[in-house]
Amino acid sequence: MKILEARDYVVKNLKYALNPQSIAVVGASRYPTKVGYKVVYELMKWGFKGEIYPVNPRAKEILGKKCYPTLKDVDKPVDLVFVAVPAHLVTSIVNDAIAIKAKVLVVATSAFKEIGREKLQNDIVETCRKAKLPLIGPNLVGLGSPYEHFNCGFIPYLPVEGPIAMISQSGANLLAALGTSQAEHFGMSFFVGLGNKADVDFAEFIEFAGQDEHTKCLSIYIEGLDSPEAFIKSCKMVDKPIVVIKVGGSKIGVKAAFAHTASENPNSDDYYDKIIHEAGAIRAKTRQEFLDVSLALGYLPPLKGDRVVMITNGGGAGLLSCDHFERLGMPLHELKEISPALAQRIRAYMPMFGSPLNPVDISGTANVIQYKGAFQQALRDPNVDGVLGAICPTAVTDVLGVAKAAIEVYESTKKLNKPFIMICQGGQECHEAIKLLREHGIPAYPTAEQAVNAMVALYNYGKNK
Amino acid sequence: MEKAKHYKVGTEEQQLYLKDYNIAPKGCAFLEPGVYAKDAKEFVAFNIAKSFYQVYPEVFNLPYIAKKVGLKEDEIKRRIKRMYDERLFMLVSNSYVGIMGFGLYYWVVKLKDDTTREEREALTKWMQDNDQICTGYMMEEGGDFDYFNGNHMRNLDNLVYGVLDKFRFNRCVEYVHILPIRRLVRESHVNMFDAKENVGHYFWSDEQKEKVLKIQNKMDKYDFAIIDAINNCESVGDMFDYDVLARLSGLDAKEMKEDIIKIVDEQKTIIPMIYFNYASLGLKLHFFVVSLFQNTPTYRAEQICDELAQDPAFENIFDCSDGHHNYVLSVYDGITDIDKIRQKILGYGEVIEVLEADSPRQFRRRTCRLDDKNGYYEECIFTDDVLLDRSKE
Repeated sequence: MKILEARDYVVKNLKYALNPQSIAVVGASRYPTKVGYKVVYELMKWGFKGEIYPVNPRAKEILGKKCYPTLKDVDKPVDLVFVAVPAHLVTSIVNDAIAIKAKVLVVATSAFKEIGREKLQNDIVETCRKAKLPLIGPNLVGLGSPYEHFNCGFIPYLPVEGPIAMISQSGANLLAALGTSQAEHFGMSFFVGLGNKADVDFAEFIEFAGQDEHTKCLSIYIEGLDSPEAFIKSCKMVDKPIVVIKVGGSKIGVKAAFAHTASENPNSDDYYDKIIHEAGAIRAKTRQEFLDVSLALGYLPPLKGDRVVMITNGGGAGLLSCDHFERLGMPLHELKEISPALAQRIRAYMPMFGSPLNPVDISGTANVIQYKGAFQQALRDPNVDGVLGAICPTAVTDVLGVAKAAIEVYESTKKLNKPFIMICQGGQECHEAIKLLREHGIPAYPTAEQAVNAMVALYNYGKNK
Repeated sequence: MEKAKHYKVGTEEQQLYLKDYNIAPKGCAFLEPGVYAKDAKEFVAFNIAKSFYQVYPEVFNLPYIAKKVGLKEDEIKRRIKRMYDERLFMLVSNSYVGIMGFGLYYWVVKLKDDTTREEREALTKWMQDNDQICTGYMMEEGGDFDYFNGNHMRNLDNLVYGVLDKFRFNRCVEYVHILPIRRLVRESHVNMFDAKENVGHYFWSDEQKEKVLKIQNKMDKYDFAIIDAINNCESVGDMFDYDVLARLSGLDAKEMKEDIIKIVDEQKTIIPMIYFNYASLGLKLHFFVVSLFQNTPTYRAEQICDELAQDPAFENIFDCSDGHHNYVLSVYDGITDIDKIRQKILGYGEVIEVLEADSPRQFRRRTCRLDDKNGYYEECIFTDDVLLDRSKE
């Protein structure tokens, strides 16, 4: 339901959504194949340190924990009530949650507005709003934070710690990001599925993320925007990069978005372009771009100018990159234009057949020492705003060695506050290198286009900022 | 494409397609015409009651029960709560599996004489935990057979590979005989959809009513009367308090009531009922597995079944086809004159054999687990095989 601006009581209470001291799981199940079991199981598995109170009138004990027939039977304070029961039970649970003075209500249950039960959904929201009990959902997958060892929902993964707050209406896309987080080191500060976002809206999580110490970038997946004014206002209040992917713009996508999360899209896609632009956020067109750009904005400072130097051992990767830079409206400059001195100095790190243009091609024979020297020279040059490195493995390339050298250089030049992005295009050794680089805060990608998208996003954010 | 004709049991429109096709429905549950999924809006009143009655007994129509039983509403509430907490009953709904396109298959298992206690216990545990078995009974040692189980299924390969083979190839098993159910006549004392008359009626014999009060002290006559009032209400519209359901759910009372009346009273696709958990009273079920001579004509076999169904003492009456046995009947031991029942069955010249055994324990009832000792009372597990190929598991 529409809000005109983020509500203070909601923003204030969201700390209980992501760092509760106690959780009641309504619909907790004894059976391992059921959602209500998984919620309790995942909380325990990932090391949630607070109290867990399973609620199920049929069970006496679940996963070794005493089970309560109703919320009202839990005789201790409850911060968060997680609801995993059918829709026709939710009204009663909302009333009980209000009665026990819970701080926040998370409703995973589907079958509300998205199947035509708008009145039921609205009645529940109005009850919650009257009682100042924030309701997250319904129709969501869950939420959590790796910093708090908190995984609340039917989510099999907890992401690695990192700077990105993932706020998503879609459970599936959230799960996909969470699933790759461990394997690809996509670090998150917290994540939340909003589902139908019947009560708590994007704006409130945006303001919460703005205050969250671990969050450096907000990544928002939107299917419908009921409260554009609140969205714009909250985005403007937050001094952190915000990446948005807005879907449901196609003819059939409009219907699919309603069936999925009851999202209404009466306006054209251009309308959302304007909203997102006015909010000062960056709009990604594809899910991959959304993740890639978020990673860079989460880990790196903004790019202050367009003087980017690319250092590669493969001319092909360089060409793909410079073409894509130009396509995105940020063409590379020749190295001698950026820094004539650097163009001279960098020759020391390449064979005579290398190219000191931009991209700087230090050739397929480049070793770790040459990479390291070229990276150092480029990053330390005051005329250079950012560096894009590329590893294209040949038979003589020590991929992990180069990655470690890149990390060493990045660590030693961090104070200069310049973005440093890497491309590692190739097989398994590149996958390992990407993971290693990301673990040390360097956004690394398997393709040139992904890396260029990230660098341009840093530039655009720098300009908007 | 011609519009599908709805299947409406007990009406002139009953399975109209049978004018075109002389076969029973064999479909995918809720995709059969006239069938509603368990989470459809038509079911919502039952689903709310099923979810709340453990804590809020007022989901039942207390004024109606009070009038029938002669107790105050608060007292009825208290008794319902107590009976649930003591695992004496459970609110359930029987779906008419025939109309849903499932087959209902039971099987009877006999163990070899040299089966050890440990082997028997292991097999019993496997059965209790097996989510492919929706209903099952364990028999006491020394009877003519050892287990009687069943499931609703679409695909016979799934039954063979997923369940029957597990028995057939078990060292301890002497035989497993399949019992395809032709008519489900009575279950848990309630006449089911295939009863010739009194569908939905809840039966106990006078002898049973009298004796059950003498052999135990967990339930008195009022407790039994409460169950009787709920199970024997004329219409499902009287079974629940729809205003309470509306208050708990936020849904519309009138709409919920109309919906469930449609599927229970008019279309008869489900029967909501109170299941009486005999084991918690210390009762045993005495089973008779009855075989007729193979040359008994079908009409005669059905006449015998209908005649037996006149006796309210039977707790279950299953009428089978295409197997060794024709009927599975059960009565409570200790409160029923077993000899009299036996003589009644043997009084039919068509009967060639009667196997008997006592069951002190039921594993599950229509997908609901009953093993409170394992902490699973009323845990409902989908046991159907829709879209599954268990031959590859």
